[in-house]
Amino acid sequence: MNQMTKFGLMLGIICLAATLVLAFTYEVTRPIIAAALYREEQEALKAIMPEADLFKPGTVGDIKYFEAMNGPALVGYCLKVTGSGYGGYMHIIVGIDTGGVIKGLRILQHMETPGLGSKINEIRLGESEPYFLKQFIGKNARTISVGNGIDAITGATISSKAVTDAINKTVTEFMEKMRQ
Amino acid sequence: MDLSTYITIIISTIFINNFILSRFLGLCSFIGVSKNTLPSVSMGLAVTFVTTMASIITWLIYNYILLPYNLEYLRTLSFILVIASFVQFAEIVIQKKAPALYKVFGIYLPLITVNCAVFGAAVLNTDVFFLHGHAVPGSFMKSLIQGFGAGAGFTLAMLIMSGIRERLEYADVPRSMKDIPITFIIASLMSMAFLGFSGFKI
Amino acid sequence: MKMMGEFVKGLWRENPTFRIVLGLCPTLAVSTSVSNGIGMGVAATFVLVGSNIFVSLIRGIVPEKVRIPCFIVIIATFVTIVDLLMKAYAPALSRSLGMFVPLIVVNCMVLGRAEAFASKAPPFKSILDALGMGIGFTWALILISAIRESLGNGTILGITISRSFEPPLFMILAPGALLTIGILIALINYLTMKWKAK
Repeated sequence: MNQMTKFGLMLGIICLAATLVLAFTYEVTRPIIAAALYREEQEALKAIMPEADLFKPGTVGDIKYFEAMNGPALVGYCLKVTGSGYGGYMHIIVGIDTGGVIKGLRILQHMETPGLGSKINEIRLGESEPYFLKQFIGKNARTISVGNGIDAITGATISSKAVTDAINKTVTEFMEKMRQ
Repeated sequence: MDLSTYITIIISTIFINNFILSRFLGLCSFIGVSKNTLPSVSMGLAVTFVTTMASIITWLIYNYILLPYNLEYLRTLSFILVIASFVQFAEIVIQKKAPALYKVFGIYLPLITVNCAVFGAAVLNTDVFFLHGHAVPGSFMKSLIQGFGAGAGFTLAMLIMSGIRERLEYADVPRSMKDIPITFIIASLMSMAFLGFSGFKI
Repeated sequence: MKMMGEFVKGLWRENPTFRIVLGLCPTLAVSTSVSNGIGMGVAATFVLVGSNIFVSLIRGIVPEKVRIPCFIVIIATFVTIVDLLMKAYAPALSRSLGMFVPLIVVNCMVLGRAEAFASKAPPFKSILDALGMGIGFTWALILISAIRESLGNGTILGITISRSFEPPLFMILAPGALLTIGILIALINYLTMKWKAK
């Protein structure tokens, strides 16, 4: 029994040391991780709505959004959209004008299969934007669906649908909530 | 959550996203143990038992300890410790209470601690059934079922592979291809067959 | 000179991927692109070196019976450190490797080195061993991912090789990974046999 206590103690000490080291690393990296995420988000917002100079965060229902302001004028909204893709959740930011027409969008994170679903974010040689996402621009987010304004990627129908449906659903819900 | 959700999760983890053939989790034991049918199935059963139990325990830890206290960074450490202790504990209990069962899969238990399939299932549950730091509806049952399905898929792949490898004993394989390389190539062909299931979304 | 041997053996003679065939889950799962391969290789090397140093340092102190749990705790600590560092300084890479960063903890190669080498050798030797193994793992990963990315996606490090080439998709999917490693191991077996015969 004495030996067992010794073993337990030994393991306990090592676990404690490990936890302390990790807590320290976590505290050091936390602001850097948060800054990296913030920077990425701001870059995405800037790319989606180049004419806006200020993004005011807000929440309505479950939806997180930014009001895109150009000086005192409201240019549109940027919505955080979560879709359920083939491999897991995908996090998208979509920018719309006040009428719901899509001005731009970025996929921040996805877990789709490399080579198939990952094509939703693929940039063709010589182009600057993913070809799948380009077709959303200028269309009304509340009416789009795969087959109606949006063409799915061959071999990645589920992923294409996930992006389209998530945007359609979130924007529709958002516009309704904002009208109230 | 209804029954059809559970069935689709099971089908998905066994066939569509088979842990070995499409996610590559548990490959080391797959290549190492799959020489004969009986040990393969025993190992598969042991893995299924551990993935199911580990899914339950790690889900509880993640949802009730790690998330509320913002300790998500301890996920790796706590999961692997819990899995290792559980496996050790299960080994002792089974050896004492069910010696017959211990003979079947007891010897594979220690191997399972570092089996990617178990830890992989636990991590995958927290990736797929938690959103923005909260459990999605039915998260606990879904995790449990996914854990079970992961093990069942592992067992199926082991069973098929061991059947093929038993036959392979009598085949005249080139010397440089013997054993491991030919196993990989068979696994590749199997994986191609399982690819036929891909594209079903649940 | 003997010290050098500890380093060199991981590169070819005892290469963890091709010769000992350990740590395959991450090797196959992340080798869809060369950048992923390099990222995973560096991360695993960091964990290997870190855990080997500490395992070697505590080798006399920890009782035989609890050594495996202790090793696992040490490895898990380094894996989490690498995970946090990657999230902070290489968020894109961290996202594309996803759950395979935490999965380094169950990479048999890491525990294998701790148990088979570092628990019996002094720290400096253990570092050399870890570096050799890590670099051996990395080059194997780069080779496999280069084959898969170029054949399956027509690119290397994201740069398109040739426009006229229609890549066979299956190389970047699961079967392509298994086929690639099977053929590579067979090829290396063949070459080794040939050299031995000479």
